[in-house]
Amino acid sequence: MDLQAFKQRILPVQGRLFRLAQLFLRNREEAEDALQDVLLRLWTNRQQLDAYHSVEALAVQMTKNLCLDKLKAHNKRKMSDDAELLGVQSDGVSPYQQVEFADSADLIRNLIDTMPDQQKLILHLRDVEEYSFEEIEQITGLSVNNIRVILSRARQRLRDNYVKANDYEAGH
Amino acid sequence: MKQDIDKLLEKYYEGETSLAEEKQLRNFFQQDDIPAHLQQHAEQFRYFANARNQHPSAASINQLANKLNVPEPVRVISLTSWSLRLVASVALLIIGFAGGLLYNQWRSTQADVNVAAGNGTSSLEIKKVLAYEPQPKTSASERIQAVNQSSELTQADQEITQLLLNTLNFDANVNVRLAACQALTRFENEPGVRDGLIQSLKIQTDPNVQITLIDVLVTIKEKRAVAEMQRLAQNQQALEAVRLKAEEGANNLIHDKKTPS
Repeated sequence: MDLQAFKQRILPVQGRLFRLAQLFLRNREEAEDALQDVLLRLWTNRQQLDAYHSVEALAVQMTKNLCLDKLKAHNKRKMSDDAELLGVQSDGVSPYQQVEFADSADLIRNLIDTMPDQQKLILHLRDVEEYSFEEIEQITGLSVNNIRVILSRARQRLRDNYVKANDYEAGH
Repeated sequence: MKQDIDKLLEKYYEGETSLAEEKQLRNFFQQDDIPAHLQQHAEQFRYFANARNQHPSAASINQLANKLNVPEPVRVISLTSWSLRLVASVALLIIGFAGGLLYNQWRSTQADVNVAAGNGTSSLEIKKVLAYEPQPKTSASERIQAVNQSSELTQADQEITQLLLNTLNFDANVNVRLAACQALTRFENEPGVRDGLIQSLKIQTDPNVQITLIDVLVTIKEKRAVAEMQRLAQNQQALEAVRLKAEEGANNLIHDKKTPS
């Protein structure tokens, strides 16, 4: 695999890998570092890449493992960068709405953050990155049924927690 | 429509929706007028839709591209597979051996040419090298070589023997003189050689050459040298070893003369 082929096959995926890294690491710089790490590793092992059925699944797997390793390694204090997220969401909304949206987006983010890694990962892969069940199966090594169950639980849990948190705020 | 959405949501939370249906849900919740009872679901779909828009910064992408571009030349040089490395090493070995063989052949042919050329012109060359010069331009080893080459000559002419005698008498280097002395032994039958050797014994001052000369004269049984040897034996300036040798040589020659041969 030469540089051209590598760029064509791997680089389009880097947005996805980056978002995945950010999901786990909660920090833009660290996510970028992790992304570079993964891509360089893929590049140095490019001779073996052709043997894999799906390079993208491999890359996602590597990113996930690298992030979890990083988290384990220095028992991460979870740093969030709210300012960045605000900037992303601020198109064409009134300042009032913007604050409200930012608050609820933050809330969702924190709720996702509290989930177990597996639920978090599968929810992210399905609802954000729109992977098919087969692709998720390749990445996680779980069966499709298993994935459905975990996904269903993650979605319900997210909604329930959100409703609970909102009610708590409204109750005040 | 709303009925649809309710159904879809139900399926969604069961994890049964297809990707297309999920897309439909996300699009629905992107609108502004969402019925109140669905409001509680809206936020997570909005979050998902927004999360998709996050991208790594241009700076980090550039940095990565640079890292990918830099090691390229190294990759070209390195032999990538084991088979290639093996082939390269074998090729190197073969080239080495072939080079060695070729060089050897070249050397031997060169030597042949030298020998062939040497045979034809050696007497000329010897003359050239040994030609008397007030300041010799040739090195001692070259002259020794020339003298030794004379032993390859089957026939020596007057000129060669004269040259050798000159060398024996006047060469600055003792070793050359010794070599000339040895070479002259082979031409003992040439006219002038014996006389020259006897003459030389008078001239030589170096003990080494003197002893060699005495030896040579004894082996060729040159009886005319007896007088000179006896004179040398009496010479107080000569080294004692030389005097003894001269005496011994003279005795040998005299005894040789007396015993009927």
